[in-house]
Amino acid sequence: MARVDDVSSAEAARRVGVSAATLRRWVDTGLIVPGPREGRWDAQTVARARLVSQLRERGHGVAAIRGAVLDGRLAFGFAEFLGSDDSDTQDVRSAARKVGLEPALVERILTTMGFPAASLDELTDRDVAMLEHATTALTLGFPLVAFLQLIRVYGQAVADIADAEVRLFHLYVHEPLMRDGTPGHDIAEQMSELSAQLLPLSIPVIEHLHRRQLQHFVEQDVIRHIESDPAEASELGRVRVAIAFADLTGYTQLTEQQGDEQAAVIVERFADLVKLTLPDAARVVKTIGDEVMVVSSDPAALVDWAVGFQQLSGEEPRPRIGVHVGEVVYRDGDYFGREVNLAARVAARAATGEVLATNAIVAVAGPNLDFTLLGEVRLKGFSEPTELFSADLAGE
Amino acid sequence: MGATFDSPEQFREAMDAVFGLMNDDADMGPKLRDADVPQRFDFDDLDLVVNIRATRAGEDGNLHWEWRDDVDWEPKVKMKMTSEVANRYFQGKENVAVAIARRRIKSSGDVKAALALIPITKPVYAQYRDVVQARWPHLLA
Repeated sequence: MARVDDVSSAEAARRVGVSAATLRRWVDTGLIVPGPREGRWDAQTVARARLVSQLRERGHGVAAIRGAVLDGRLAFGFAEFLGSDDSDTQDVRSAARKVGLEPALVERILTTMGFPAASLDELTDRDVAMLEHATTALTLGFPLVAFLQLIRVYGQAVADIADAEVRLFHLYVHEPLMRDGTPGHDIAEQMSELSAQLLPLSIPVIEHLHRRQLQHFVEQDVIRHIESDPAEASELGRVRVAIAFADLTGYTQLTEQQGDEQAAVIVERFADLVKLTLPDAARVVKTIGDEVMVVSSDPAALVDWAVGFQQLSGEEPRPRIGVHVGEVVYRDGDYFGREVNLAARVAARAATGEVLATNAIVAVAGPNLDFTLLGEVRLKGFSEPTELFSADLAGE
Repeated sequence: MGATFDSPEQFREAMDAVFGLMNDDADMGPKLRDADVPQRFDFDDLDLVVNIRATRAGEDGNLHWEWRDDVDWEPKVKMKMTSEVANRYFQGKENVAVAIARRRIKSSGDVKAALALIPITKPVYAQYRDVVQARWPHLLA
């Protein structure tokens, strides 16, 4: 059935950025399968034509593209259902005028969000609508310094989501179909059907997860406020947190012995186990290869977790963990500064199955743990030596 | 100090309810049976021991448990805790790693295998809380 947003060939050509004759030639040579209505172009077909146009601009010949269509490499999946904003485009200055912000600030907002520089002169009506939300947030009094950090986190997180969606769809749907020798047009059809069903699911899932996570972090923030000493308030943008780094010792050797895929599975299980066992006040900030960085507003609970986690990690490869507490800079959803670096260095000093802690942790830990002084150690990159302690269950 | 049970019988009734919920649940039950991790729980303040395993061929349900030690199978994991900690644990209010470090839970055997069950058994927390709310509200953690 033809959709209401079908457009004429001339309009389709304008949206793709080629002549109507070029579009006709692409149809005639099999690069594009026209929509069901004679002479009309639906959004999916226009999306396909855009990709063909990009491939042509990158120097791919018509024969090569046609080959890719036939063997299924050019099945578009999600791309066909994203649609496009076909409103007239505008530059930053024009968009800024519409939303009532300085052009320099609009440019800063968009680049912080991850907009490519080349797209700043081709802003669509949807882009402007999004900028209006940004303007509202600033008008309501949300500080610019915090706003810019927040939108950077949004941009990075959403880019990660989109990248994962496309990569996983490619790896687990598109490539298996091609490996099975499925004809190109069947691949395109199957991917289109699956995409059409999957894509609408992502926004409600993301929205719900966001609400759930927000609820959790608001609760933790309230608890932190109640439990913290107002006299020890940190400077603006700085927070006092406990930091733990945990990694799998022998991971490189494991990868050599068992291969990349098995090693990736082991790291994934390790990171899942960390998340599964963390106390409420702690969270994983990031994973870097086989290393996990955790922060917590409750240092005693974090070092307890570290010792308990070692008890739970029965089999090889076992982790090594370093724990420290101090004041750090919070920026763009991450934690920075000397104390973070120190925690990472402490972890690097730990042996397999060991938890190492600094004096600052020992001072706040509960009586359930024993700390054995290992001595003063000059950690890489630090001029002053650091006292390191091995943490264990008391009486062990 | 958490809430305490009125009697060992009440505690046993509550734990039977927990295991019954896991056994009967259409999602949890088959997954726990397939995981096949026999566990021994020692509730030392009440001197009670329960051994639980996956059902065998020909047995009804998904889980089988007996409140005694002389059973004809070996536990893969042993966990020792008080009845108060057990009550919090099955309501999802006891962090396992922290509880082990604080000696609220003592574990031995293949604890990692038991940890792998946590994502499966998570739904029981809310279900058990509902039971506690309805029958023994003073035990709500």
